[in-house]
This record gives sequence, structure tokens and C-alpha cells, in this order.
Amino acid sequence: MPLPAKAFQRWLHGIAPDASTADVCRVSGIKRTTLAQQLVRGKVAETTVVSISRAYGVNPVSALAGFEAYSLLAVPAPPTRCELVSQISTPDLLRAVLSRSAVDPAGRSAERPPLSPAPHATSVKNWVEAIDDGELRHRVSAATGVAPQNYSAQLTANRLSPELAIATSLAAGVGPAGGLVASGLITEAEAGWPPDARQTALDGLPDGELTTLAGDRLQALGKTLKRQEHDQEQTNKIWENLG
Amino acid sequence: MIEILQWSTLAVCGLIAVVRVPSAVRGENRTLFWIFALMTLAILLSIEAPYVAIDQALGGFNLANLILRFVIFAAILCVGIRVTRGFGATDGYRLLTGRTGMAVLALVSLAVVGVFLLMDSRGSSSGLAQISIRGGRDAVLVEYYGAAGRAYPAYVSLVLLPAMVRALRGSLPLPIRTAAFLLAVGAVAIALTLFFPVMPSGWGPAKFVVNYTAVLCFVVGLALIWAARVRYGRSPARPGTFTEK
Repeated sequence: MPLPAKAFQRWLHGIAPDASTADVCRVSGIKRTTLAQQLVRGKVAETTVVSISRAYGVNPVSALAGFEAYSLLAVPAPPTRCELVSQISTPDLLRAVLSRSAVDPAGRSAERPPLSPAPHATSVKNWVEAIDDGELRHRVSAATGVAPQNYSAQLTANRLSPELAIATSLAAGVGPAGGLVASGLITEAEAGWPPDARQTALDGLPDGELTTLAGDRLQALGKTLKRQEHDQEQTNKIWENLG
Repeated sequence: MIEILQWSTLAVCGLIAVVRVPSAVRGENRTLFWIFALMTLAILLSIEAPYVAIDQALGGFNLANLILRFVIFAAILCVGIRVTRGFGATDGYRLLTGRTGMAVLALVSLAVVGVFLLMDSRGSSSGLAQISIRGGRDAVLVEYYGAAGRAYPAYVSLVLLPAMVRALRGSLPLPIRTAAFLLAVGAVAIALTLFFPVMPSGWGPAKFVVNYTAVLCFVVGLALIWAARVRYGRSPARPGTFTEK
């Protein structure tokens, strides 16, 4: 839910009392026309608040928490292990599998490059799957009024509106910031995740669980690639016949 | 208003046909050039002034209208074949080129020619309006003639429609889905022409709009696919894949 312009103006005055709109835009890298439009419509995007917060050295999560719709963010909760692992990209996860001696006794892949930062190519869907008890999507739909197929479409496109991210956390009973990290609105550090939290969570996964999880990810990746290839084939055929 | 619509449709279609000449000369998808060329000819023959001029040259007994019918049949059949093959609608392709499709085409052609021969068709006027106005037996025959002429395009459109709806719902690139949408709208418009005989006589302008919506949707839809290919399709490189075959 975009933030009300009035509350935004109040907040902006609080962190940069003397800055003009032009200054704010220059420092935060937001286009002036974009901000002006958002103010005129009375709805300011969450990304605007995040960019301005970063520019003025304010934590974006606590900045968002100042708005009524995001007041939940004021009560931080540490991420669960599932959430942390869900934010590890599939290639990193596969590398981790190969580094386990139970999988590869010869230990050929002993070196461990640092994990690439969240979010990754399927982080939104993986995050929701990690915290889903089977009924989560229905509860989110019921709570927000967003149709299940629209919710699914966002997950497939690796997008999640901040409003839905918060609603999903709430419905799953996990910390409020996880979805914002998964959708890339804020970074892990901004959400208060310790720097090595994901690596620690990964190291704590038993061999069997890690391997099964990697298998699920591979299967999903395979499905996506197959669909892409099928679409590409069909597109080529269309061009061949009608191009 | 209707005149503007007619001439601008002609211009759009003719332009696309001309632009396709070089690729047709190179041997790329000549059928598509023929589709646009035939459609241009069909539009030309449905505008009063050029119609009368051409028909007078052909003897003034509305032979041009009979030619127009078959030009439309040829264009729509080419569109149907190309589209069903492109969109992978094997069932649709069979319904057009298989025994059923050929039977429908033969039957409709026979009906069109038969009715045309039965009526006294003197007096050039596009849409055979003068014969209708003359009244009597010929006016009734003109109705049958028109209905038969609309039957085949409607058949092809109905065959195309399911494939277009499937493509719309899928995850193909946006220009192709837009084209599928336009082709679907065109197909629905052509199917609507079947209901012309039961429309009140005051709905003449509505008929024109339906006809030209159909033509424009098909022309623009097909041109869009071509434009998308020119824009994105030159490099056959696929997005990076992990799988090796």
C-alpha cells in the first residue's frame, strides 16, 4: 500500500528539514518528475522512502516502520533458518551440496566462495515456499483481497509488493522484514540479519535436507527452463511462418 | 467517415504489401506478401469508385465482385494456413487443409458461382447494391450470394479462434500475444458477419465497422509479428541454459 503523501512530507521534514525537493531528488537519485507525480497523487512508493532513507543515512526499515501501514516493522524478529536458506541462490546451494563429503567423498569442491547477496532469481517464490504451511496463500488472499492467481503471478515473476510481503510474513507468523529482503526492497543488513546468517544457516543444514532442497530447486529450475525453451520454440515457429 | 476508413485501410494494407516486396524477392515467406497483396486488392475492390472502374473494364456485369469473393477466400485461406502452422494448431491446420476444409471451400465456391450465374448481375456497384435496390428475385439471390461469400471466411476464423485464445493465455513474448489478440478480435469480427442477414437494415454503418475492424485487425496483427521478428528475431541466440543436449 503506497504511503500517504502527508505522512511522507512529515517524515521527510523530520530527516531533512532544510532540503528542498530538488535536493532530496539529487541526493537520493529519484527522478524529480517521479516524486512530484507521487506527491500529486497523494501516494508515495515505498521504494522512494527506501532510497531517501539510504541517501540520508537512515535505516530504511525503521523509516518505513514510522508509517502506519508498516508499523509492524518496528518490532524486529530474527529470520528463521528456512527463510535464510531460501535467500541462498540455486547455484550457491548446488555448490554447497557438492562441498558436502556425504555427496562427494572425494571432496573436489572444498573451496567455498562467499554466497552471492540476496535477492536471487527465484527468491520471492522460494521465500514463500519456505514459510508456507500449505494454507499460507489462501490466508494472504483472504487477508488482503488479492486474488490467488494474481498473488501466484507475482511470485512467479519474482516480484512481491511491499504490502503483500508484510501480509505474507504476518500470515506465516515470521519476522516482518523477510519478504522485503526477498523482493529486493531492502538488503539483509538493513533488515538486521547478521552478515553470516545465511552461511551459518546453510552450514547447519543436515546433508539429507540440503540435498533434497537442492533437488527441489533443480526441479523447479528445470521446469522453468523447459517452459522457456518451449516458448522459444513456439516463437521461432511463429516467426518462421509469419515473420 | 466510412470513405476515410476504407481508403486508410487500403493505404495501410498497400503500404505493408509494398514494404514486404524486398523480402518476397529474397524468397522469405512469400505467402505473407501474397496475403497482403490479396488483401490490398480485396479492399480496393470493395471501394465504390475503383470497383466500378474495374468492373466496367470487365464488362459491367459485376464479375469484379465474383473475383473479389475468391480473392478474399484465397487471402483468408493463406492466413489460416500460416497462422495455424505458426501457432502450432495442428488440429486447426487439418480442419483447413484436410478433407473437411476442402469440402467447405468447394461447397461455398460452388454456391457463390452458382448463385452468381442465376442472377441478372448487370449494373456495376460495389456490394451489388444496385441489384438489391432493383428488388425482385435478384435481390433475394444477392442476399444468398453475400451469405455464401461470408461463410468461408467465417469458417476459417472460427478454426483460428481457439489457437489465438490459447496463445493469448500462454507466456509467449508480448508482441506475439498482442498479435494473437488482434487476430482473435479479427476472427470474432469475421464470425459476426454471419449475422448480417438478421441485422436491422439501419445497421449499415455497423456492418462497415465490423468488416473493416476484421481487415485492420488481421493486417496489423500479422504486421506486428513481422515487426517483432525484425526487432528481436535476427539473432537466433537463446537465453543461457544449463542443460546440454
